[in-house]
Amino acid sequence: MKKSSWIIGSVFLFTLMLSGVASAKPIAALLFPLSGPFSAMGTDMKQGSEVALEEINAKGGVLGQKAEVVMGDDEFQAPIAIRKYKEMVDGQGIKAIGGTLSGGISVAVNEWACKNKVLYMCFCHSSIPLGKEQCGYGFVSGMIPYQTGVATAKYAFQNLGKSWMIITQDYRFGTDELAAWLTVSEKTGGKFLGNIYSPLGQVDYSAHIPKIAATNPEILVLNVYGQSLDAIIKQLAEAGLTNKKMKFVIPKSHLYAIKAVGATYNENFYGGHEYYWTLQEKFPKAKKFIEAYGKKYGMPPSQDADGGYTGTRALLEAMNAAKTTTDVAKLVKTLEGFKMDYNKGVEEFRACDHIRATSVVIVKGIGAKAKDWNFGEVVAEYPASETLESCENNKKDVPYGAVKLPGK
Amino acid sequence: MELTPTLIINQMLFGLALGAVYILMACGLTIIFGLLDVVNFAHGTFYMLGAFAAFVVVSLFGNFWIGLASAIILVGLIGWVAETFLIKPLYGKDPLYPLMLTFGLSLAVTDLMRGIFGTIGRIVPLPQVFSGSLMWEGIFIPKYRVFIIFLTLGVLIFLWYFFKKTNLGMIIRAATRDSLMVRTLGINVPRIWTFGFALGVGLAGLAGAVNSTIQSALPDMGVEITVECFVVVVIGGLGSLGGAILGGLIIGQVISFVSLLASDWSNVAIFITMLLILLVRTRGLFGEAGRL
Repeated sequence: MKKSSWIIGSVFLFTLMLSGVASAKPIAALLFPLSGPFSAMGTDMKQGSEVALEEINAKGGVLGQKAEVVMGDDEFQAPIAIRKYKEMVDGQGIKAIGGTLSGGISVAVNEWACKNKVLYMCFCHSSIPLGKEQCGYGFVSGMIPYQTGVATAKYAFQNLGKSWMIITQDYRFGTDELAAWLTVSEKTGGKFLGNIYSPLGQVDYSAHIPKIAATNPEILVLNVYGQSLDAIIKQLAEAGLTNKKMKFVIPKSHLYAIKAVGATYNENFYGGHEYYWTLQEKFPKAKKFIEAYGKKYGMPPSQDADGGYTGTRALLEAMNAAKTTTDVAKLVKTLEGFKMDYNKGVEEFRACDHIRATSVVIVKGIGAKAKDWNFGEVVAEYPASETLESCENNKKDVPYGAVKLPGK
Repeated sequence: MELTPTLIINQMLFGLALGAVYILMACGLTIIFGLLDVVNFAHGTFYMLGAFAAFVVVSLFGNFWIGLASAIILVGLIGWVAETFLIKPLYGKDPLYPLMLTFGLSLAVTDLMRGIFGTIGRIVPLPQVFSGSLMWEGIFIPKYRVFIIFLTLGVLIFLWYFFKKTNLGMIIRAATRDSLMVRTLGINVPRIWTFGFALGVGLAGLAGAVNSTIQSALPDMGVEITVECFVVVVIGGLGSLGGAILGGLIIGQVISFVSLLASDWSNVAIFITMLLILLVRTRGLFGEAGRL
């Protein structure tokens, strides 16, 4: 046989071997916004999922095999997310999907998952446990947006003042937070001075600054996320508003935004977090995750990393518990009431509405005293019982879904 | 909220500062289109590169001014290389080719920057001299916004002087009208085109560096401003520097006042403005002149 035939034959065999390795069947598909205005947070979420996957595989994998999970970019667009999930469900027989970092996208994906009878584990703040969105196939390892709204509003009206103004990112997450603030304000005697809707992805807020300065509220609520959050904080500082009496409350803050603005995130800033890494002092079991994450990525996990970690780990552990990766009905049943003791003590996915019952932490900025990744001090923690509505209320989407939003 | 004269003046000042950045961007885009007939879809990418150039240089040398100057020079050099090796081979072919190329370039460079710098916003600290606001009778404006307005004014004076009074500027203007005639005079026109492209993207780089202190430097930061910049240029009239200036001023004020009165319409408002202007003048405000 000619030498060239040997080479071609060897390459063919090698390719066959490689394809054999790569074709280990994936059991779940996870998408994150790895590009677009939330890409930093999406990357974080993916990293949390990767740590969970490694941890599960180190313990023997799923059903005795190394777990293969497909991860990709949803480009922060619902149609792209759905197309990619569909490709993976139809093409690879996957019956469990997860991820996404947008309340709006998660609602669209959940609707698609329901129609196609696929289990969907949403890792972000999402309204899929509410009202008509509840369909039995969606779970949330983050929280419902109104929870951080309720927790931050309660804290603010108890400790920071009564008059308030809010800048709201105009999509499902933002309007849910706004509804929560309006409700708590009415109950606790807050004085609402106005709302400014901001388009998703806006990075120049300077045109709103004269209005904010003229209104001069005690509390300015920065109900925005992603790149917009760094930008608005920098522009408020540029205008000289961050070192005065005004307090700034961020319903959903993020480590990256705080790092990006540095010492500007001073004692006047209060952020709501589903998770803050110094909680490991209170919940020692979190140390393992924080160590593994820090070793791999050189920083502590953010709340989005925790959402990715918790959702992925719970999903894979549920597969082991249910002894199936494809029987959706069994997986849903297993996850309903599923107990976890990961990063925040013992928690569960409520059986009635599939939400992870978890607390909200309020972190106060420390400005120039910030060191490494320690940007704040935890000043309060609101347990799920104080922020989460009953299953009946969530089913009816009250009280927050019934709030008349300004300008809508 | 009551619409007081103070609030209106404040809003106009902020709108002027917003418009100033659009003017820097749109002038660059106009120079490139006027000279090369290239619709540069990568203009926002050069804006982003300017922000990162400022970030890297300020991190290394700790000096904002060096960062600002470096952004124009470094981005201009990148533009020089891109025009020489990528765009030049497409001259004389279907105009769609350079358009597609710059679009592809913007995607590739954004991904490359994402790979190098990640997705966390990078800070360019605001110089101490610009922190805080100027106040007078309730009217206020951050010092840095005043700087942006004057910087843009300075750049416009420079561009006017360069194009009207210097030999090179006059050659560029001549080349935009009749490049064949200029070539027959023994002038290296392709070199002029390269210079024009570098100057145009250098201005985008300067705009990115200027905005890097009030927004974070991020690989995706050029996407939205590219669209807004095209709106400015279309309103002003393709290829007209005067149009780019007027378009920038109009869009700055539109965004500022719509943000005050109906904030959720601020994004749509610029497109409605463009639509209305194009209904009245299909070539844009100064489109008839068509050239620099």
